[in-house]
Amino acid sequence: MFDKVLIANRGEIALRVVRACHEMGIRSVVVHSVRDRDSTPVRLCDEPVQIGPPQPKKSYLNAAAVLEAAIRTGANAIHPGYGFLSENPDFADACEAAQIVFVGPSASTMARLGSKLSARALMAKAGLPLLPGSLGVMDDGGALELAKQIGFPVIVKASAGGGGRGMRVVDGPDGFADAYRETQATARRLFGDGRVYLEKYLQTARHVEIQVLCDGHGNAIHLGPRDCSVQRRHQKLVEESPAPGLSDELLADMGKAARQGALLAGYRGAGTFEFLVGPDEKYYFMEVNCRIQVEHPVTEMVTGVDIVQEQLRIAAGEQLQLEQGDVQPRGVAIECRINAEDPDRDFAPTPGAISEFVPPAGPFVRVDTHVEPGYRVPPDYDSLLAKLIVWAPDRERAIARMRRALNEFRISGDNISTTRRFLLDVIDHPRFRTASHSTSLIDEMRRTGQPAAEQAHGEPAHGGADSD
Amino acid sequence: MTGDNAETERQPQTQPQTDDVGSTLDAVRRAASEVLGYLSDHPERLRVSVANVSLDLDWRASEAPLRAFPDDGAGQTSIAGQASVAGQAVSRQAVLSGPAAPGQAGEAPSESPPDQPGEERLPVLHYVCAPSVGTFYRSPEPGAAPFTAEGATVTAGQQVAIVEAMKLMLPVEADRPGRVVEVLIEDGQAVEYGERLLALTPVGSE
Repeated sequence: MFDKVLIANRGEIALRVVRACHEMGIRSVVVHSVRDRDSTPVRLCDEPVQIGPPQPKKSYLNAAAVLEAAIRTGANAIHPGYGFLSENPDFADACEAAQIVFVGPSASTMARLGSKLSARALMAKAGLPLLPGSLGVMDDGGALELAKQIGFPVIVKASAGGGGRGMRVVDGPDGFADAYRETQATARRLFGDGRVYLEKYLQTARHVEIQVLCDGHGNAIHLGPRDCSVQRRHQKLVEESPAPGLSDELLADMGKAARQGALLAGYRGAGTFEFLVGPDEKYYFMEVNCRIQVEHPVTEMVTGVDIVQEQLRIAAGEQLQLEQGDVQPRGVAIECRINAEDPDRDFAPTPGAISEFVPPAGPFVRVDTHVEPGYRVPPDYDSLLAKLIVWAPDRERAIARMRRALNEFRISGDNISTTRRFLLDVIDHPRFRTASHSTSLIDEMRRTGQPAAEQAHGEPAHGGADSD
Repeated sequence: MTGDNAETERQPQTQPQTDDVGSTLDAVRRAASEVLGYLSDHPERLRVSVANVSLDLDWRASEAPLRAFPDDGAGQTSIAGQASVAGQAVSRQAVLSGPAAPGQAGEAPSESPPDQPGEERLPVLHYVCAPSVGTFYRSPEPGAAPFTAEGATVTAGQQVAIVEAMKLMLPVEADRPGRVVEVLIEDGQAVEYGERLLALTPVGSE
């Protein structure tokens, strides 16, 4: 096992990895920007190194500075967390050249799966079902013909896209060519790669993903599904495991497919296969995420597997100790993302100072957060403040526990709005409660002016207090 | 260096003991330097008053730094009552002013003649900071003469050191003219981003 691991990230995920390291007796180095020098992960790690100014490009995305810090601190491995350098094959290459282990798949696997076009082609070969769409680069004329063939609406996606950016739904042939070219231009600007592809757009679909662990010695297991259908702007807000309301047979099939795809891709480490599931219970491969995901805790809660520790063991060259039969998920886990965002202003981020921060506790409640009272939400990074995760033997009780925990959560501060209240509305929405929701739930709620959860259940007197 | 409050309060404020003043100012200066190290933009003026210690930083409105510590956009930051120096009941103010306004250094109200021992004026210091995490080098190559040395005068834009990161030699340039008061880092030592490398004082202000 490694003596020392450098964590090239910030916020709650940096803290999550620091904790995994400390539980495993590994020394932790956290690289940080000037902005984060007083943050919790920096304080709790063994060795912080300031690598740059607040701008991510000059700090967390600065591969040379991260590697320099790794070399001078004598770190054996770099855990990239999510975002930033986590899915950058060039960085993984540079780590290898510097003889530092990159915690993740090999650079070539990452490159192949990172391009959604080549990932689609590879997974088609592995026998995974794909949505009808393009398998190669097309001009706008050819793409329009294809769109007519497969039927509108379609979605145009950047091959190098991610994080919900660089995609566009087109409802009909009118304006298709413009939308196609605009997405190409956006892709070029955002990702430096103008290639886009086309897929049939499912209006009522569930987003279901499978967590896999592969050790690079030929062993691969999956840790079951996560349902991440509650999204705004293609970004997840609520996640749960298992995926509710879907047949065991379907979920078992998807698990098998993900394992098969991972083995064919020569995957190593923890990864996620994302699928869309249509109303007819047909599933389609979307993409592979070559990193730890924000929502990994729900899988940890139902399986009892510490995914970050598994990542470190695999990166250190160990064989998986778990076999597929050992994975026996129990109960239901739900995660809500508490973001510093204003749901009433289209989830616009609200950077500012947090004066009160009292996370909930109690049985089967887990809060992954780097925030404490006095924390300033920086304008430079994403708006995630805390992940609130609960577990219960069944979904109804998990929702009740989540409602209780969200009500307990107290966050306030100047100019700070959070998603807390909105999340209460989501988990009490009849569609969510009956697991008949789809990825369009939030849009629906916003269109219909969903009645506030308070009206249905009453806000307890001691309830949380967002400043809004 | 916490003093005995009961004793120091008995001391007439107008005639503080020289040693106390000296050591207090020394501690205050160290604290002030530390605060300056946290800033991404240097203030126009930094004022330290010693009894019930307060440390005030001012920025010119026109160039108000939006990345000040600890409050973004703050025009003024006060850190009051630091235990390490608060015990000294020495009524004295020292003004550490940025080189942009050296004239304000004379603002310190003196209760004793300026040449009296203990009436040490804090030098006007500007720090050249590391542009990257890396290794600090004083000279262009091993064995060569250093780019600059204590006592030498540098011009704005003059290279004063190298920080090497991943075999990339990043020149460190003085961002304003001055005299090198101190090279704070040993040759070949590791530095973090933003770490202070050289202390400069404006030419002619000594």
